[in-house]
Amino acid sequence: MNECERIEQSLGRWLDGELSAAESEVVRAHVSGCARCGAAQKTFEKLERVIGNVLVAAAPRIEFASFWRDLERRMHDRPPWHKELGERVHAWFAAPRTAWVIPALIVVVLAVFSYDSYFPFWRSRSNLATVESIDAYGRSVAILREDESKTTVIWLYQNQEGDDEAAEETPQPGPAF
Amino acid sequence: MELSDWELVQKCQSGEMSAFQELVSRYHQKVFMVILGLLRNRDDALEVSQETFLRAYRKIGGFQGGSSFYTWIYRIAVNLAIDAQRRQKRNPLDFRDNMDSLLESQNEVARDPFAEVQDRELRENMIKAINDLTPEHKAVIVLRTIEGLSYKDIGEILGCSEGTVMSRLHYARKKLHDKLSSFL
Amino acid sequence: MKLLKKLPSRVLLFSWLTLVAAGTLGAAEKQPQTVQVSIGTILASNQSDEFDAKLKGMEGQLKVLKYRSYRLLKNESQSVPWRGEKVFEIPGGRTLTVTPQEFRDNQVSVKVRLTQGQKPALDTTVKIPNKRNFILAGPQHEGGILVLSISASAQ
Repeated sequence: MNECERIEQSLGRWLDGELSAAESEVVRAHVSGCARCGAAQKTFEKLERVIGNVLVAAAPRIEFASFWRDLERRMHDRPPWHKELGERVHAWFAAPRTAWVIPALIVVVLAVFSYDSYFPFWRSRSNLATVESIDAYGRSVAILREDESKTTVIWLYQNQEGDDEAAEETPQPGPAF
Repeated sequence: MELSDWELVQKCQSGEMSAFQELVSRYHQKVFMVILGLLRNRDDALEVSQETFLRAYRKIGGFQGGSSFYTWIYRIAVNLAIDAQRRQKRNPLDFRDNMDSLLESQNEVARDPFAEVQDRELRENMIKAINDLTPEHKAVIVLRTIEGLSYKDIGEILGCSEGTVMSRLHYARKKLHDKLSSFL
Repeated sequence: MKLLKKLPSRVLLFSWLTLVAAGTLGAAEKQPQTVQVSIGTILASNQSDEFDAKLKGMEGQLKVLKYRSYRLLKNESQSVPWRGEKVFEIPGGRTLTVTPQEFRDNQVSVKVRLTQGQKPALDTTVKIPNKRNFILAGPQHEGGILVLSISASAQ
């Protein structure tokens, strides 16, 4: 960016009185010696005058007495309760839109991480029990999983010698069933 | 001796209606001009101005002087005006017609007809160009031009940083310049 | 910090309330205090065609076992703390010891031991989807076999 482009960027702030004393002096010195920037300043000032004419000169004067009379009447007329409540609720939620990004983001992040709490069937697609470990102490065992009825069965096979069901009998070596 | 805004606010808070009336008399024209700059319609601007002071009256109990009274009242005014702008369904041409009638009501000094036509065309195009700005860009132009407020004050009113005010003003002026360069 | 200062206080308040509410719900959801363990003891046999009406809800599961008759002998339900064990009496001098291990991904992990008298017959660790069951079948009893429906519900 050359000097003139830099000065042009600062022209608005200079004319608005928003530059420091040192910065103002730099701009003033350049503008007074540069035809291009001098012309830019004049154009800027003309633009501001026209904007001012349109906005300020065009504004009619409003008579205070009638303004106050109408205002006083409105101050004494209370709006219906639902309108007042609506205004209060609206005021609470009328934050700049970007500010609502934060709570909205929190809700989205939480929803992503906790969807399984609300839609457990999505995650537990099999909905079947899972056998993580098994020890049948030498007996034969089978695990059956049946999707349609969502059944997991651990089947303990009967030992060939037979199992004695009575607990008080002397335990025999071999399978219990 | 004239009371300061803050002293009048304190009197309002203790129930003195006359203090509020004094505040309204000080600011009603300025508030109206700012709102008119944003809404471009006299009747709407008047309605929103009334609404601004009504809101201020209802909320004055909570005003603690953290900001100046005028930045507080302008904040209410600008927010209401921006809300009203979003609700406005009017065609931009209506705005221009409204402004035309306002411009014609000015006591203009008779000048060279050619110059007058040129000026009128410039003003019409300026009105349209201002109206084409977003509400946020319009607000900074209006507050700076009408009230000559500092970037800091404008930032307080609009709830943004000075840097944002600066960049919005720069953008808005550039937009207006680009649209009206042939007239300037 | 500057950005935080510029946010309307009510938006910050809503954000905090959202986080607190989520944290409370999350805490409530993630740490069930006890497990309700239910053991249904069923006698399956081919000695008749009787199907106990009380087992209507399990008909689909029991049909997998291919027996003709199913009778509910007893149904017992106990609240068991995590890592605490509960012993259930099973017909034929047997006991079933259930120890809930942990709750994760909406599944209850339980350690189950079946004993015959004093001798262990089966040790298994099973992950059961919350509020569902698995079946342990095979021990002989009264001309048929015992079918144990073991379910766990984290609370």
